[in-house]
Amino acid sequence: METLNVKHASAMPAPTWSWLRMNDTTIEIPCDLARDGSVTVEADEALTETHASFERALVELQERLDAVRGDAADERACVRAAQRTEEHLDDLDTPALSAYQRRATLEEVACDVAAAFETGVHVDVRSYLNFLAGSTAVLATEEGEDAAATVRVAGCAGSAAGASVDVVAAPRSTVDLVISLDGDADGRDAAGLIGSELRVFAGADARVNVTVYITADASFTVIDDAGYVLDEGARVNVRHIVLGGGRTYTGLASDLRGDTARMDIDTRYLASGAEQRDFNYVIRHRGKKTISNMDANGVLTGTSKKVLRGTIDLIHGCKGSEGSERETVLLANRGVDNKTVPTILCDEDDVAGNHGATIGHVRPEQLFYLGCRGLSQEAAEALFVTAKLEDAALGAPDEQIRANVVRLGSALVDDFADFEEEIA
Amino acid sequence: MSTEALLSVNNLTASVDEKTILHHVDLSVSAGETHVLMGPNGAGKSTMGHVIMGDPVYTVNEGTISFDGADITDLSCDKRSRAGLFLSFQAPVEIPGVPLSSFLRASIAGRPGLEMRGKEFRRRVKELAAQLDMDTAYLNRELGVGFSGGEKKKVEMLQLLLLQPKLAILDETDSGLDVDALSVVSRGMDAYRASCDGSLVIITHNTRILEHLTVDRVHVMVDGRIVREDDASLIPWIDEHGFESFEREAADAAAAR
Repeated sequence: METLNVKHASAMPAPTWSWLRMNDTTIEIPCDLARDGSVTVEADEALTETHASFERALVELQERLDAVRGDAADERACVRAAQRTEEHLDDLDTPALSAYQRRATLEEVACDVAAAFETGVHVDVRSYLNFLAGSTAVLATEEGEDAAATVRVAGCAGSAAGASVDVVAAPRSTVDLVISLDGDADGRDAAGLIGSELRVFAGADARVNVTVYITADASFTVIDDAGYVLDEGARVNVRHIVLGGGRTYTGLASDLRGDTARMDIDTRYLASGAEQRDFNYVIRHRGKKTISNMDANGVLTGTSKKVLRGTIDLIHGCKGSEGSERETVLLANRGVDNKTVPTILCDEDDVAGNHGATIGHVRPEQLFYLGCRGLSQEAAEALFVTAKLEDAALGAPDEQIRANVVRLGSALVDDFADFEEEIA
Repeated sequence: MSTEALLSVNNLTASVDEKTILHHVDLSVSAGETHVLMGPNGAGKSTMGHVIMGDPVYTVNEGTISFDGADITDLSCDKRSRAGLFLSFQAPVEIPGVPLSSFLRASIAGRPGLEMRGKEFRRRVKELAAQLDMDTAYLNRELGVGFSGGEKKKVEMLQLLLLQPKLAILDETDSGLDVDALSVVSRGMDAYRASCDGSLVIITHNTRILEHLTVDRVHVMVDGRIVREDDASLIPWIDEHGFESFEREAADAAAAR
């Protein structure tokens, strides 16, 4: 199968050793896919009939930031180092910077919100998904308004479908957004691709809750690419529920630009068979007293593979900020390949960054206990998968998404439909 | 030994890490009988339960285990469970990420006569939970995680009643329980006996749990050997005198070997 390859996708901002093969990934997009599939946006008219735009929201934020920014020149040595055009051997007070440090320092000094905007996967993927979508749905609230929307991307074998969504949450408003990325192969082996491109601007004290359910069959490649900008006091909660898809790429980059902004990410994932999961989270703390939490919890079975890159970047000036990332992953089979890269970058004194990971195989005493209740090794593995699916079904935002989970679950686990009957 | 025994352990010697724990043990339990395996701490009682159930940690060096007419010595524990054996754990393990209800549903899957469809399963489990004074909220919680000792034992009893095995080995089910929890466990055992006339092998070093039970046979184990077998009259004697005399005799016998 001929593919279009996007290299260096979902790249960590500050790479580690190349030989670890964790710095980034290559996304293979099958060339012969028809641009097809169904994309629907269910939202109140008030949310879609708007003149607001993501770009305008960034311009307005930039104006406010520029207005409060002083004119005093930044005389830090690292800034001198980043801005100089050539090195002088007799200048021992100016440090040498790595390419990453130089780029980061220049970006920090520029304080350009639009130029610093990023999504988690790749700019080329952004373009591709926007091309698939055709147009971007803009969902914007008025100040103080509460609104909800659901975006459904339903892919089919042999085709590619994508959604492009901008959310502009006005100050003190609340937006609940659900994105369903579902691919039903309908028994066919042909490859398919589905994805969504999301840009979110959360205004001052706004609340934005985003839930993404990925329930695609194993023949699908799924790309969930998102970028967030948070103004002062904004709070964003993201839930990523990744249950299916042969290869999935979840990327999220967030700019906590305003003071006291907060971002919480709850990721639940499951990979079975030979599926591959790739996650890239980048949280940039720029405002003071900003908070971020990344929590991931997953189960890997069969010969599945997973990479999770989580970067908390505590940028100069984000005094009083705290970022933390935790992951718990259960490796239900010896054949799985699990990689986790928690990274904390720090250029500020008064901050806290925490990370932790609990990675465990099923212990022999747990297997014996399950065995004593009649569960073989295979049945025990299926139980861990079932439990993840059931949890996802119980927390599904609507019946349609729950049905997608049950369809996927029934394909993975015998008698999963019984569960649907039980909770009905 | 009766040829009609449901469980028949013959000349069983078992070890772990090359250390022999059980020495030439014989045990025979007929259908519907209640046996008690008693002995001081470290006598090998729990090992006996685990070896009968097929814990891969232990190696059977000699002897056989037959159950319901078949030699199960080499069977894996899941197959022994499906043959009708049950072991209630002294310290049930925690399995994070797996809700109790999912686990229960998996444990009955594929068992002839026990398989239930969705709502029927939920109703049955709720019935059993009520019987054991167990809050049904536990059904949606992760198996064992954050459960108190008493709650874990109730979950063990719930499984016993749900699975209705032909023979259940209850390993120190009474340990660490307060009076209320103890009464729930006793009720569970009664309900099990009443519902399916199953056999019980109760492992304990405490006679309290036996007060409300009709016991057919008592076995005393010391240092991995069965040193005494008798009828239920042995229980009050042990309650009065403890295991000291058995331990002394075992020490003498060991010195003579």
